[in-house]
Amino acid sequence: METWLSWARGPFFWASLTFMFLGLARHVFVTVWEVVRATRRAGDKRIPHRKIAAVTLAWLLPFGKIKSRLAFGLTSLVFHIAIILVPLFLAGHVALWQRNTGLSWPAIPHLLADVLTVTAVLTAVCLVLQRAIAKDTRRLSRFQDYFLPLFIAVPFASGFLVMHPAWNPFPYEPTLLAHVISGNVLMILLPLTKLSHCVLLPGTQLVSELAWHWPPDAGSRVGIALGKEGEPV
Amino acid sequence: MTQHKYSYYVEEAALEVTDRPRKFLEAFAAVLEYGNYGIALDAYARLSAKCARCASSCQLYEATQNERDIPCHRSELLLRVYRRYFSRSGVMKARLFGGFELTDDYVELMAEEYYRCTACRRCKITCPLGIDHGLITHLARWLLAEVKVIPKALLVAVREQLDGVGNTSAIPIPALKDTCEFLEEELKEQTGVDIKFPFDVEGSNYVFFPAVSDFLLEADTLMGNAAVMHVTGGLWTIGTGNYDGINYGLFYSDRMMERIVNNLIGEVRRLNAKKILVGECGHATRSAWFVPTFGGRGAPPVVNCIQYAAQKLREGKLPLKRGKIIERVTYHDPCNIARAGRITEEPREILNAICEDFVEMTPNRTENYCCGGGGGTVSIDEIRKFRTGPMGKRKAEQIRTTGAEYVVAPCANCKKQLREVCEDNGLETVQVVGLHDLFLRVIDFGPSASVDANSRTADEGVEEAIQQTTEKEG
Repeated sequence: METWLSWARGPFFWASLTFMFLGLARHVFVTVWEVVRATRRAGDKRIPHRKIAAVTLAWLLPFGKIKSRLAFGLTSLVFHIAIILVPLFLAGHVALWQRNTGLSWPAIPHLLADVLTVTAVLTAVCLVLQRAIAKDTRRLSRFQDYFLPLFIAVPFASGFLVMHPAWNPFPYEPTLLAHVISGNVLMILLPLTKLSHCVLLPGTQLVSELAWHWPPDAGSRVGIALGKEGEPV
Repeated sequence: MTQHKYSYYVEEAALEVTDRPRKFLEAFAAVLEYGNYGIALDAYARLSAKCARCASSCQLYEATQNERDIPCHRSELLLRVYRRYFSRSGVMKARLFGGFELTDDYVELMAEEYYRCTACRRCKITCPLGIDHGLITHLARWLLAEVKVIPKALLVAVREQLDGVGNTSAIPIPALKDTCEFLEEELKEQTGVDIKFPFDVEGSNYVFFPAVSDFLLEADTLMGNAAVMHVTGGLWTIGTGNYDGINYGLFYSDRMMERIVNNLIGEVRRLNAKKILVGECGHATRSAWFVPTFGGRGAPPVVNCIQYAAQKLREGKLPLKRGKIIERVTYHDPCNIARAGRITEEPREILNAICEDFVEMTPNRTENYCCGGGGGTVSIDEIRKFRTGPMGKRKAEQIRTTGAEYVVAPCANCKKQLREVCEDNGLETVQVVGLHDLFLRVIDFGPSASVDANSRTADEGVEEAIQQTTEKEG
């Protein structure tokens, strides 16, 4: 178990972290590259940046947006707040970073971390239940739409049990191993699944706008490529 | 010859196309190569979260509760093709495990589904990930058009416009001039003033491009347009080389759209004129907003007639009679001018100035509901039951709630659709009119209205104001 733990906390963690960073960085790089390319090709280069920024911000902080589907929106909002804050600002995580890299930043109080952790697990389960119960989401849902929220809940649930051994029905070390491994796998999944919206979301409104800004001769060139140049309507 | 294979008629040639999946994919590859759609498809294919918020914003899904009408579900039809054939992971997955292949039946499915969406883009504003389902519908229809799946109503209109008489209603120039002469006489009778429809005036400030069908169906709107230009001293003209603002390319093919927009630019340049003045038509205005895309530097500015009138009203150059319109009036925001928030306040400024009892529909402006005939579907008469039934039901309820006698819809397509919606939903007493139809009733043609018709300063004020608005948007 010792060996497994050191592997999970050592090479596997660093490999997962590197994979996540490189994968997400690739997404960002490709998006920025494509945005520049699309803008250069566009016949009309007047992009309403201010308006796009306002809409993007409104969705990054969607407090005013959730009213149309209040239960789902509120659950999703709380879920996102919890899963962003806990991994980054848990005192234990901050201490680990400081020990390994010398980097440090303020942590959230233990009680708040506990509340947020439990909230993350509960809201993940609620999201899946709401998805399964509501007719329209159930019809659209794929395997990953159920799997990912539940899988995200695993490192939070196991992390809570690690922090509270008195409530943990399982032995400490296997629980810690489950926590570290599920966290690592989650990092690998981030760039490979729809979870990549964690870095791509700030660009999606711009991307949608740019798709309407066509190169001036795109239509004609498609016609030529398809051998339809000069063809009657 | 027509065939009724889909919900809409297509030409027989559409049924003779062989090897459609390959041709569809060739077109898809070319569009990705030369267009800017790839950037959006790549993001959408990766991110689509299937949260179904779009379902709650779609008036069609609200009415049918059918899975096929959830915007995200419809978009997935094309995204699936994109993922399988144009994303690395999709190609690799297919090589290793097989799976989805584009078939003729799948093309048929898309042909049906993408004409159940009006591309009103209401769902875009409720999508947390910013997925523009209207864009997907727009693109899917273009790709379908490259395998000749095009509603006949749209195709014949574009054929007439690009290869025929020169406009979608096939109105020849003599008939156009006769109509305008008749309208001039009508105006004289109604107002006592000589109001002209000027033709081919070189060096004009504005070349006027209404939906050409207005010449056949919307006499009051056109008379209102001419009256506004008259009292404000706008130097305008109708070009006999091109007098049709309609652009059905927006609804099924960027190739056609490019040609039609270039023809607008060509007519303005032929007449050595300055600007494009679009009549009361949502899609014509939105298409004309693509002028900078195709016209490059020096492309003529585009002004919608409502923007023009509102600006003149603000400047006090549009004299109005004392008595306002007393009947209850409501306003329908055409999606193509309102969804992005580009023209929402100007019509309200005008209506508040000319109506005693103006009431809003709810929701409105950028969140308005589509009339139900957007995306060119209003021209497809064979789907009227669908348009005025599940698609138009929500709009009918909105109109009924206002209790209005007049619904103002400054769009040729919305007007036709809303009249049919009212007819089919027990709202026969409601009159659907254009904004300029009402204007015509309240303009004061008295001596104070006389303006030097050759004065250009008045027009330049409009250009500056609209330029400022565009910059603000930017």
